[in-house]
This record gives sequence, C-alpha cells and structure tokens, in this order.
Amino acid sequence: MSFARLREGGPLRKTVILAGLALFTFWSAAPILWLIISSLLEQKALIAQPPDLSPQNFTLENFSTVLAAAAALGRGIANSLIVSLFSTALALVLGAPAAYALARLPVPRANSIAFLILATQMLPGIAIAIPLFIVISKLGLIDNVLSLGIVYLSFNLPIVIWILRGFFLGIPSGIEKAAAVDGAGIFATFWYIVLPISLPPLSAAAVFAFVEAWNEFFFALILTRQQAQTVPLVIAQFAGQYQTVFGQMMAAAVISVAPVILLAVLFRNQIIRGFADGMMKG
Amino acid sequence: MTAIEIRNVSKIFGNYTACRDVNLAIAEGEFVTLLGASGCGKTTTLNMVAGLEDASSGDILMGGRRVNELSPVERDVAMVFQNYALYPHMTVARNIGFTLKMRGVSPSEIKERVEKVAAALELATMLDRLPAQLSGGQQQRVAIGRALVREPRYFLFDEPFSNLDANLRLKMRAEVKELHQRLGVTSIFVTHDQEEAMSISDRIAVMNGGRIEQLGTPEEIYARPATRYVATFIGSPRIELAAGEIGADGSIRAGAATIPLVAGAGLAPGRPIEFGIRPEYVTLGDSGIPATVRLVQPVGPTTHVTLDWEGGMLLANLPGFVRLNSGMPVKAAIDSRHLLIFDRQSGERLSH
Repeated sequence: MSFARLREGGPLRKTVILAGLALFTFWSAAPILWLIISSLLEQKALIAQPPDLSPQNFTLENFSTVLAAAAALGRGIANSLIVSLFSTALALVLGAPAAYALARLPVPRANSIAFLILATQMLPGIAIAIPLFIVISKLGLIDNVLSLGIVYLSFNLPIVIWILRGFFLGIPSGIEKAAAVDGAGIFATFWYIVLPISLPPLSAAAVFAFVEAWNEFFFALILTRQQAQTVPLVIAQFAGQYQTVFGQMMAAAVISVAPVILLAVLFRNQIIRGFADGMMKG
Repeated sequence: MTAIEIRNVSKIFGNYTACRDVNLAIAEGEFVTLLGASGCGKTTTLNMVAGLEDASSGDILMGGRRVNELSPVERDVAMVFQNYALYPHMTVARNIGFTLKMRGVSPSEIKERVEKVAAALELATMLDRLPAQLSGGQQQRVAIGRALVREPRYFLFDEPFSNLDANLRLKMRAEVKELHQRLGVTSIFVTHDQEEAMSISDRIAVMNGGRIEQLGTPEEIYARPATRYVATFIGSPRIELAAGEIGADGSIRAGAATIPLVAGAGLAPGRPIEFGIRPEYVTLGDSGIPATVRLVQPVGPTTHVTLDWEGGMLLANLPGFVRLNSGMPVKAAIDSRHLLIFDRQSGERLSH
C-alpha cells in the first residue's frame, strides 16, 4: 500500500486504513512503551493491581541502582557487542560472496544448495543444543565470547545468504553483462558493481543478524557461565530466587534495547528497502 | 576483408533452439542489422558474438581468429544495451571511465578520455550526475559513451533505442549513423523495428525462428524479399497478400479478377501462389481492379488508403491528401512489374 494510492481513496477508505495502521502501530509499540513505563515505576506501584500510574510514583531510581551495580550489566553489554558485531560482520563477509555465487555463478544445483542452507534453520534449537554443548565443552570453549560468536554466526549466515541472494537474483542481468563487456571479471563485478548497489539489503541483513545475536538467550544460557554472559542473561538475573525486582530488570532491559532501537532508527530507510527488495523478489 | 564471421552457429537452451545454423560474414567497417520479431534469435546471436553467451555449436571468427572461448574483453567488443545498463551508483564520468579503470589506465588519462567522449556526446556538463538524474536520451548517450571511450574494434547494439520515445529514437538513430560514418567501426545492431533497420544499415539480416531468412542491402530486402515472411515484415504500411494461381495465359487469377503479368514471365500455369504489391505501386484511376475504400489515413506527405477487393485487402499509399470516403467504389491500378509473387507452399518468392 503506497501513500499515493492511499491519497486516491475516498475518506472512508482512508479512515479504515489509517485506523488499521494505528492499531498495528499500537500493537507493536505497546510492549516497548510498557517496558519504559515499568522501568520508571517504583516496585510497589508496579506490582499494585492495577498498577498505580500516578505521577509521584515515577522515579529514575531503578536506573541509578542498575547503573551503580554496573559491573555485571557493563560486562554483559560488552560481551553482547563483541558477539553480535563478530557474528554479524563475519556473516556478511562470508554470506555476501556465497549468496552471489548461488544467485549468479554456474554453481551446479544452486537452488538445492540454497534450500539446504535454509533447512539448517528449520531444526529446533533444542535439538542441536546438547550436541553443540558437548562439542564446545570438549573444545574447552564454554564461557568464551568467541565460541558464542561462532555459534551465532552459524545462525546468521543462512539468513544473510537468503536475504542477499533474493536481492542479487533481482538485479537486472544487463548491468553485469555491461560490466563483463567493460572488462570486469567476477570479483571486480562483485566488488565495484554488485556490492555498492546492494547497500540497502546489506544493511537490512546486518541489522537483522545483529539483533538476532543481541537478543539470543537460549544458547547463551547453555554455553556461558560468568565471563561471557550476554545482556539477556544479565537481565534475567534480576529475577532472584526470592523476589524479582521488576523495575530494575526493566531498567536494564531499556538500557540493553537502546542500541538495537538506535540501529533500527538510523538504518530505517535501508532496512525497509532492503527487505522489500530482497525478500519479495527472492 | 571479413571482420566478423559467424559459421553454422546454433544455440540451444534446454529443448529450445534459439538459433539454428546461423551464417553471417560482416566486412570491416560494415554496419549490419539483425532484424526480427521478438524470440527470433537476434539478441542471442548478438550475445554469442559479444562473448556473453556460448555457442552450442559452430564457430565465431573475429579478425580471422576463432574467438568462441574468448571473453568479451579479449574480443575487443563494446556493447550498448537495451535498458542502458548504466551503473546506478556511479556518476556519468565513472560510468564512462569504468572500462578504462578495469584496463588499468591511469586516472589522469581516464579523465582526459572521458572528457573527450563526453564533449562529443554533449554530456560534458553532466559528468557528475547519477544516471537517475538523466533523461532517457541522456542515459542512452552515456551508454554509447561507455562503448566509445575504449575505441573498440567492434560495436554491438542490442535494441538500444527501444525504450526511447519516437522523436528521440529518430534523433539517436541519426547520431549513431553519423558516428558510424565518422569512425567506421564494424557494427552489429539488433532491432525489431524494420524502419530503423532500413535507415541505419549497410546490410540487414532478417531473422525468423532462429534462422537468417534473408541477408541483403535495405533495397534488396525491401524490393526483392526472398520470402513471404520478409515481404510482410518489411515495409510500413505493411504489404497485404492475396491467394491466387497462375492462369493458362500466364496471368494471375484471383477469383474472377485477372491481373496480367509482363509477357514471358515464365511461371507454370496452375501453380498456387500468393501475391501482393507495395502500397506505393498502387494508383487509383479509371481502370484497374474494382475495389471499395475501407479506410483513409492521411499521414502528411502521403495518405494510406485501405481497399477491399475480391482477393482481400489492398493498401495504396497515395501522395498528399486525397478526397476519398469509406465505401466509395474505386479502380485500383497496380504496376505489375513490382508484383511480389510467392509460392503458396514454400513461401519463397518467384521471379517473373
């Protein structure tokens, strides 16, 4: 639904569409809104039935407490950054050429290979958790940031390949033919022509991979102990054995989603174009 | 001297034969057009000459050397594509200069050569723009500039004007022809537009169903088409054909109508034929075939008149504006020396 077509419709049509969009926006944004509100409420007001939203109950105390005990959260954020950046960067570096090869080069059975790559994502996490744990612990790499990064890379690579392959398939082949006539080989075509025009899907794939790694909980729980704990684990620890300090947990969560939201806002245009190009044509 | 030679070249995609046994020899400096409807194999043939597609069988020779296994660069071809195929993220200057960069030419020399080409194509003020900021005609000129800058031995054009509006197409056609007259680079041009092919080419290869149906100068193709297909594909307004047979006296019989041929034409009586005549050889007057005016379409210099007669439809292209109304009975005189007669079975033209 483009805005041009929205403008063409009658007033009733417009109202219905706008109401639908408003509902969808609320649906998507409500949890985040509630996260922010609860991070600013005192524990007592928050757990009251219903929550007491009167202005005197709002406080920044949760944030100051969480930041005072910053060691754990700080380390968690640092670990998450390392793991997410590492797995995202490597997924792009490896995934982009792989996607291009599967889209354009005379690779025998390229479609089957692409499907196999996708199929690896169809196994439930729990099915590979135990073998993965055994392998990584035999290697002595439990509680190691890089081993977690490599595990995330194995999740991100297929996604990156699929997003980019879809986009590469949609590039008019005339441009690559022109490059061939201009004297560019496969690598030069890829580097000078294909990659620069693929910035939107590259950004979309990068943000997607980054967020996947940043938010991942299950494998981080299994494969880390203390040193390599990522943000989701640190946040979960606010749920204590005897009581859960919801306000502080929410404050930590707000701090941890900030980078992701920032990323999404910064790359908004590229992400939308990237997903539209990559997935629909694919 | 033969610059490009295509010998018994076929191209098969799965169970579809795009080109079969194509043979074509192009002389140095010649401008040859591959003309045909979509799907006739003309672009596939061009791609094989360019090195963008492998021939399934047969040989392609350039400068006397077999080039089947060579890349486009090694063949020293430059190509202009239908959708321009400009690099959308590069400025005009970088688009034109990219091929030189790929050849390791120094940046200062690239700049100099790009500017020279841009000046020749009236693109000098647009070097810093992106393709999206240019009009269709300007984009096409950039695509031509990209081909020119390298000073290649061969130019290949793949329907370069089909995305331009009618006026611009005429202008670009003239520009390409002038360019060819000035540089004399051997060129192959692909189009489905018969008028474009006629106006620009030294010779035309009319393709149909993956084969070259006729190869000849524009005049040969127009005046002496080898087959029914060529006759009807070439010419605007289109020639209309009628079925008939050769009478005992050597004239054409179509129903009750008799069209005399020049004495001694030598066609066997009783032979089933199809025949037609180019609209410019039809005149309306006091004698001739009885017909009725169906449609009158003035186009300025001439008027296209569609007539119904016993054998079907007949087109006349009369000079200036004419006073005729639809439904009017007329007599159409045809200049039988210019009759095109085809064998009804084989579709081949019979000389008379």
